[in-house]
Amino acid sequence: MRWRAGIDVGGTFTDFLLVDESGESHIHKTLTTPEDPSIGLLNGLRDIAAEKGWTLQQFAGRLELIVHGTTVATNAVLTHQGAPTGLLTTEGFRDALQMRRGVRESQYDNRFTAPQALVPRRLRLTARERLDYNGAERTPLNRDDVIKAASAFRQAGVEAVAICFMHSHANNAHEWKAAEILRKELPGLYLSVSSELFPQIRFYERTSTAVLDAYIGPLVRTYLGSLQAQLHSLGFRGVLLIMQSNGGVASASVAMRAPVTTLLSGPAAGPAIGLTYMAPCGLKHCITVDMGGTSFDAALMVGAQPQLVTNGRIGGYQIALPMLDIRTIGAGGGSVGWVDSAGFLRMGPMSAGALPGPACYGRGGIQPTCTDADLVLGYLNADYFLGGRIKLQTQLAREAIQEHIARKLKLSVEEAAAGMFTVINNNMVDGIREVSIQRGYDPRDFPLVVAGGAGPIHAAVIAKELEIPLVVVPRASSIFCAAGMLFSDLSHDLVRSFSVPFSQLDCEELYRVCQSLQQEAGMILEHERVPPAERCYFFSADVRCVGQHHEVSVPMRLKSCETDLNELSQRFHQLHDHVYGYSVPGASLELVSIRLRAVGTTQKPSLAAPAGHHKDISQALRGRRRAYIPETKCFEQVPVYAGELIGCDARLRGPALIEQVTTTLFVPPGFHMICDALGSFTLSAEGRKVEDLISRFSTRPGSSQETV
Amino acid sequence: MNVSVDPILLSVLCRRFKSITEEMGLALLRTSRSPILSEARDFVTGLYDKNGGMLEQTEYIPVLAFALEPACKAIVSYFKDEIFPGDVILHNDVFTGGNQLADVALFKPIFFQGELVAWAAAKGHQADIGGAVAGSYNPGAREIWQEGLRITPVKIYEKGKLRSDVWDLIFANVRLQIVQDDIQAQIGSCTVGERRLLEVLTRYGKQEVLAHIGALYDATESQMRREISAIPDGTYQGESYAFYDAIRDESRMRIVVSVEKKGDEIRFDYTGTDPQTPGFVNAPLSATLSGLLLTFLMLVDPDIPHNAGLTRPIHVHVPEGCFLNARFPAATTFGNSLTGPHSDALFRALSQALPERVTAGWNRMLSFSMVGQDPRYNRRFVDILFLSQKGGSGATYGVDGYDHIGLINCAGGILAQDYEMLELQTPNFLIRHEYWPDSAGSGTWRGGMGVVTELELGGEENLGIVFGDGTHSEARAFGLFGGGSGSCNRLELEYPDGRLILPRTKDKLEGIPKGTILRQWAGGGGGYGEPRLRPMEEILNDLREGLLSSEKARTDYAVEISAEERGRR
Repeated sequence: MRWRAGIDVGGTFTDFLLVDESGESHIHKTLTTPEDPSIGLLNGLRDIAAEKGWTLQQFAGRLELIVHGTTVATNAVLTHQGAPTGLLTTEGFRDALQMRRGVRESQYDNRFTAPQALVPRRLRLTARERLDYNGAERTPLNRDDVIKAASAFRQAGVEAVAICFMHSHANNAHEWKAAEILRKELPGLYLSVSSELFPQIRFYERTSTAVLDAYIGPLVRTYLGSLQAQLHSLGFRGVLLIMQSNGGVASASVAMRAPVTTLLSGPAAGPAIGLTYMAPCGLKHCITVDMGGTSFDAALMVGAQPQLVTNGRIGGYQIALPMLDIRTIGAGGGSVGWVDSAGFLRMGPMSAGALPGPACYGRGGIQPTCTDADLVLGYLNADYFLGGRIKLQTQLAREAIQEHIARKLKLSVEEAAAGMFTVINNNMVDGIREVSIQRGYDPRDFPLVVAGGAGPIHAAVIAKELEIPLVVVPRASSIFCAAGMLFSDLSHDLVRSFSVPFSQLDCEELYRVCQSLQQEAGMILEHERVPPAERCYFFSADVRCVGQHHEVSVPMRLKSCETDLNELSQRFHQLHDHVYGYSVPGASLELVSIRLRAVGTTQKPSLAAPAGHHKDISQALRGRRRAYIPETKCFEQVPVYAGELIGCDARLRGPALIEQVTTTLFVPPGFHMICDALGSFTLSAEGRKVEDLISRFSTRPGSSQETV
Repeated sequence: MNVSVDPILLSVLCRRFKSITEEMGLALLRTSRSPILSEARDFVTGLYDKNGGMLEQTEYIPVLAFALEPACKAIVSYFKDEIFPGDVILHNDVFTGGNQLADVALFKPIFFQGELVAWAAAKGHQADIGGAVAGSYNPGAREIWQEGLRITPVKIYEKGKLRSDVWDLIFANVRLQIVQDDIQAQIGSCTVGERRLLEVLTRYGKQEVLAHIGALYDATESQMRREISAIPDGTYQGESYAFYDAIRDESRMRIVVSVEKKGDEIRFDYTGTDPQTPGFVNAPLSATLSGLLLTFLMLVDPDIPHNAGLTRPIHVHVPEGCFLNARFPAATTFGNSLTGPHSDALFRALSQALPERVTAGWNRMLSFSMVGQDPRYNRRFVDILFLSQKGGSGATYGVDGYDHIGLINCAGGILAQDYEMLELQTPNFLIRHEYWPDSAGSGTWRGGMGVVTELELGGEENLGIVFGDGTHSEARAFGLFGGGSGSCNRLELEYPDGRLILPRTKDKLEGIPKGTILRQWAGGGGGYGEPRLRPMEEILNDLREGLLSSEKARTDYAVEISAEERGRR
């Protein structure tokens, strides 16, 4: 029997999903070992092997594929544990990195401090060289300056260097030369060259991206290298793929070339798996949300494509490479409720974490959390939290809510808990709005796929607030991202500056540029052994009105020039009006760059439906308990069902609670629950049909991406 | 109307209004043409109630933002019941609520079920708005008509139909085509705000939303009252000077403010402030009130929502005819920039009451803006060199000043241009843009760093406007409680023939030749507390980073570092 494994190393837990050839799956969780995450990873594999009566070596030999997501890079940035890094840049501009264009994010807060620069000023060294905006040389590269910098870097014990010169987006010659010298002078040095990573205009963004890459490069490379070697020595002969920030996977060796692409490795697996769970209803778009202990991630999948941003930030550091548009906010089971000086009830972003944890854990936590509210409202079963592994104490939850919320707002404990529930739901609603409405998408056109331990309690209420008609809660919702990794395709983003007004656009040339991009991407996929039939290429054009400085990314296909340009213009104007409130249909347009996303389709495991469960819902009834109904603001006796006994096609009407070991699902009144072919619990609002979703969605402008 | 207030819906609406204005801002940022808007974010967006009261704003430049409410109110009272769905109203007049002619605002009434319920507004600094000098900074102006086109409330759309006659009249008086494009972008931004607010009204119902808006104001008012209550009762005096009125050499204008705090109310009285000047170094009342509010907001909870409830416990008296409330038809373009000396006076006064909240002085703005011909594309270009004018902020108790933040009017909301974008959008060539070592005022907490910029002018027929303050040693960012001052601003131009030009702080330079080198030093912020109490590790770090010279370490911090020790470090 051959196995595939999705392994997600998170902050607290490392999640495993193993799937065999028959589609039978196996879930496992083990503690993360932050000092070297590969230890925890191998521990987990050993545990699983032991359960099956094998040695780790036997098991490793049976693994044909490991897809791995890791927070190694993210944590290094957030905790400033990256490599000692240097920056080589153009003379006169060493401080751009730290200046961050002079922004203070919190305008009225005189105590706000900027994030510390990842490279201190004394290691930001310069060379005399200069290109103009067009890439023409104004000052040749001074080799001695580079050699001098190399010796300073050596003396300072620098392990990684980023090179970013002015206008290398237009001409990379100087950066290449400098890189060559540094490689010779400092063998073994980790080098990030801005024009290789990201040949696009905007000096600060490019510098910041290259520095992030250098900062985490040695760490990621060492970690992945050692993981590869350990797996190999255990007899693993399968393929090791790494989850990237853009939602795709890459072979470990490709990921090691540009470690900055792994910054979101982890949550980036969410959207793809979300789509997989849409298969039973045939939709190609969804919103995925993942509500864990401390944070809530929301992301969009549109036309089977994840949504990307090119101005993301991690820990306050700008990154210009495409990454999934994942909105993370501080909302989770551990989020603390408090009353601010205006008397407004707030939830988070602080979290009680696992220790001391919510008040009801009885581990010394005194602040009221979301979990405490969920318990008081009757959504959680005090005796069946994590299957009964943690006994929740309702009295402690009530006391915390009384002391910190109810007393201050002159509400009853129940009213205060309901307020906490509503406020945190609204925070999550705002998070979803940011990835949908603010990008021009209407959340009402999307089903909501819900993950994370705390998610299923809140999901339907959030959906109602946003008028989302369909909610899908997969069985594996607590190890969602590990599952997602097994369903991700190989994916690489390329961009080429191609600045020309539409009126002067030479379609032959455009076609050539696209082809050369495609060729370049083809070589990467070739290296990853993706057969030609499994390769897909998605082009888009960054277009703007002449004189504007920001672009709208318009999906593009190339057939015959004239009609294509007309279509491109039309889509541009539609998108422009939709997002920016107006359009100027007669305006002259210009092309700025061409983007290509190259996808190598991987073989997906099949998800088997759970067997042997009951289609008749009454067989799963466990009892009844009092739970809060938001619509009527009252408590009612609500039936409670055992999730593990519910089989395909079983159905019920809200209000109801469905308990599983790691999650509880709240079905509010006005929702129907049907267990679908994959065993997911789907909730649909009464009076809404899935077909509505499909027809409404297909009328949106610019929503589909097409291949050349 | 009898709707009970739901504290939860209140929180939701408060957030939603904010996110709507942010989305409006994003739309404007991404669609505008002038680099002043698209790169620097010299604009604001906001929502107002049907009477013009502030609902929420996104304030990349607060000094513009707090002038939107008075203008909106002026518009409401001007048109009264002649406001219709589909109207769009243009406005910039400083004598009916505006703050500066080049800061042009668009207002769009929002109707729900046939009734006016709110306004969406966007105001941005336009590349030109007519007047005697391109770019509409005219240091020689002695009356408003020499500064730019004065636009009192006027409909450019009525009932959804463009009034081409009005549009053409206005733009016949404006030099650059891009201003029309940017006005369109601002209308788009208002439409985004309108769409989103209508969604909110549809979702929650008009009665419900309107009732909660009232409650939101009340909640913000009481929050502000609590913040004010925490300030010790008393009367506090502060003063400062602005230098050079663009007409009289060696002139200096005194700002006097007396802050009277009693219970949960606070009163700012400017009696004793110097009379208005003959030139343009005057502020319209809106700009002064804006400057006061943005400074005061830095002294209270920074998360307080920005709406009409905010100002209820704040009372202000600025005598008419003083240079912070100039009488018609005074020239007033410099008014926004008086926020620098104005905030100095406020911080000095309140340093007695809130010693741990105020900051030392911020570097005053000295700005260079340019209009010229770009030989590469043979077209006109306009730019304000934001990157070269952004000096440091003053330190406060426990925290060093913010580096390269720039004028206090923008509070870190305006961005320095990206270097490559600057060279793409204008013919200028950047030689250097770096921190200016030793520019920060010393202190237990030092001021924010200033910057030094060197740039080669590549345009032809260049007109340069110098606009600012801070070159006089008394105009440096002042230190507090023993802290040292930041360094002076300085700006010079080296013409290709070798001539060195040192312009005055308000100056107009015509025909600057191509190839001229501009050098500018934007000073650092003031320090807070005795320098000798600064932790040694911080001093050594600034030394290692090359932000502090060993000489200044010796004179200001009494730290002796030998050359060889320095080499080792």
